[in-house]
Amino acid sequence: MIPRIMKQGRLAPWLYLLPALLIMGVFVVYPAIGTFRLSLLNSNSRDSAAVDCLSGQPCWGIFENYRYALTNIDMLTALRNNAMWLLVMVPATVIIGLVFALLADRVKYESLAKAVVFMPMAISFIGAGVIWRFVYYIETGSGAQIGLLDAIISGLGGKPVAWLSNPVTNNFALMAVGIWLWGGFCMTILSAAIKGVSSEMLEAARVDGANEFQVFWNIMLPTIMPTIVVVTTTMFIIILKIFDIVFVMTGGNFGTEVIANRMFNLIVTNAGQSTAIAVVLIVLTIPVMIFNVDRFRKEEAAR
Amino acid sequence: MSKLTKLLTLLMLASLALAACGPQATSTPVQAPASNINCMGAKQGDQLTVMYQWSGAEEESFNSIIKPLLDACGIKIVAQSSRDNAVLDTTVKSTPPDVLFWPNLTPLKIYSDKLQALDTVGADKGNYASYWMDMGSTNGKWVAIPVKADVKSIIWYSPAQFTALGYQVPKTFDDLKTLADKMAADKNVPWSMGNNNGGAADGWAGTDFIQDILLATQGPDYVNGILSGKVAYNDQPVIDAYTLYQKWASDPKYTVGGADGTVNTKFLDAIYKAFSNPPEAMMVKQSGFAGSEIVKQFPTLKYGTDFDFFEFPGVKGVQGGADFMYAFSKSPAAQALVAYLTSANGGTTWAKANFGLSPNKGAAGNYADPQAAKLGDILANAAGFTFDIGDGLGDPFSTAEFKAIVQVVQGSDIKSTLDTVAQAQTATLKK
Repeated sequence: MIPRIMKQGRLAPWLYLLPALLIMGVFVVYPAIGTFRLSLLNSNSRDSAAVDCLSGQPCWGIFENYRYALTNIDMLTALRNNAMWLLVMVPATVIIGLVFALLADRVKYESLAKAVVFMPMAISFIGAGVIWRFVYYIETGSGAQIGLLDAIISGLGGKPVAWLSNPVTNNFALMAVGIWLWGGFCMTILSAAIKGVSSEMLEAARVDGANEFQVFWNIMLPTIMPTIVVVTTTMFIIILKIFDIVFVMTGGNFGTEVIANRMFNLIVTNAGQSTAIAVVLIVLTIPVMIFNVDRFRKEEAAR
Repeated sequence: MSKLTKLLTLLMLASLALAACGPQATSTPVQAPASNINCMGAKQGDQLTVMYQWSGAEEESFNSIIKPLLDACGIKIVAQSSRDNAVLDTTVKSTPPDVLFWPNLTPLKIYSDKLQALDTVGADKGNYASYWMDMGSTNGKWVAIPVKADVKSIIWYSPAQFTALGYQVPKTFDDLKTLADKMAADKNVPWSMGNNNGGAADGWAGTDFIQDILLATQGPDYVNGILSGKVAYNDQPVIDAYTLYQKWASDPKYTVGGADGTVNTKFLDAIYKAFSNPPEAMMVKQSGFAGSEIVKQFPTLKYGTDFDFFEFPGVKGVQGGADFMYAFSKSPAAQALVAYLTSANGGTTWAKANFGLSPNKGAAGNYADPQAAKLGDILANAAGFTFDIGDGLGDPFSTAEFKAIVQVVQGSDIKSTLDTVAQAQTATLKK
């Protein structure tokens, strides 16, 4: 009774896959290959990158742009900073998001509290950068401090700090903006996971005499662990590609350079170097992607 | 586009009016200038295509400058305004404009075989300092002459403050160094500097400063050597210039707020700090536009007493920008325009129009605005002219130069920082 065309032949699965494959091919695979090809060419995007080699200096031949991406002093700063961003901001956003989600779960004005924390996500990141530039503004002459932080510091009799140009503080000042922006995102997802923990399970634990900390540590945390892992890996990828905040607030000056900002600055003047950086960035995200897909499969299998 | 249509309508109306007058059109009321305008054989109704980057008020100024010529010779002008190098390239390769005005010498490098030698199309080189002809020549063929220029090698100060505190306007570069030291010793901060430009362009104000120091200690040939690659950017005089700049730009005794002040202050704020009440600094190095910014911020201040400028002391040539004229056509109308703008009369008209400065010797003494007149004198007496090194070389050099300024102000080792810039210089010149 079933028409022949509906029966699964050898071709049918491919037919179903075709639209997805086509879109992926045109918008992901083809540009990726194009990016890799460009990364082997020099600044005019026609000749081999090896042309850019200067005599008397090390040369990686056709991979010359990768020599830039991996050994140039600005790139080393960028790689170091990206590592720092990951180490500080991933745990910070996830933990702060989790704490807010837990606390908000226990108050009556939950939706209001969550809306406030989530609000920064609604602001364009460029806008957020501009706002925070005012917060960090330092008046270096004899005028009054009008930047929020330095106004407070000088109001309390302290010495104003050049937040964005001082190499000791500036990277952390930028990360604080990132945490402000992304903390709400983590909170929202984790909050949904917390709501999903069955109340019977929590009540059963409480009836058995577990205190609130034990309930959290032994019941809630293991239950929402898959979500925490998802949020962590997502943040990992987002922060690896961090760009807007740095671009707006310091432009990568004062030792705050990050990988994506280098990529952006070079795209016009040297597409070869820029795309080499893009490839490095892709390669760095691949392990996280593999981990994500792998975990996803295991979860599917467990169902 | 609407500007172009408006202009075309205007021209059509004008030509109609001229046609109505018939062949007697040349005897219109505008007779005084007509007497010293050479039409180079251009006839009534000849069409002339020009291309430039000017628009709005700039375009109006330019139109007012060429109006006497159009009136006298009956030339119809068709103008195209674009800032886009790609548009220039397509236009030149398909239908080149008869006359091109462009704010750099790139057309000289790219289109040298298409361009007419200016001495064959009626240009008068007698009205220009010889370095302009050197700059506008390629392989012995003279193809570019500036019609408009500006000068950046100046320092703004308050004559009232200087008099009150007993300071003299420095005459030589050594005078300037002594003056800065004296001010610092008197606890008067000599400089107000602002290199903050919102990130990517941080440092540009500093590159002008370095270039002026080099123009004073070495001269224009040396600076042009950096542009051509003859001089490496980590050469000893450049290192010396950065050493002096580092002292001035990062020591709180010499600049408002020390290094933090220099890297965090915006260039406009830096200008204001030197003219606030009481002033936070004695001098600020900035181009001609600072004058109008000072008046905007402090409307009560008077030019000449409350604020004024002097040429960067001891420079053996100035730095600035210039718009060059190129001719792609030998048509009588094109020749008439070239001849007119390079004539003493053309220079005079340009100066009176208050549209930047004119390097033409005929401009001297004809500027209406006192600030322009003083800048015009500096330009007329300059022994040489250099473009901004960063603009001239482009990326990756200019980015590296900006970065180096910021790093040096923040205390990096000058030699190794400049080694990086010199590498970028080599890479840029190889392109």
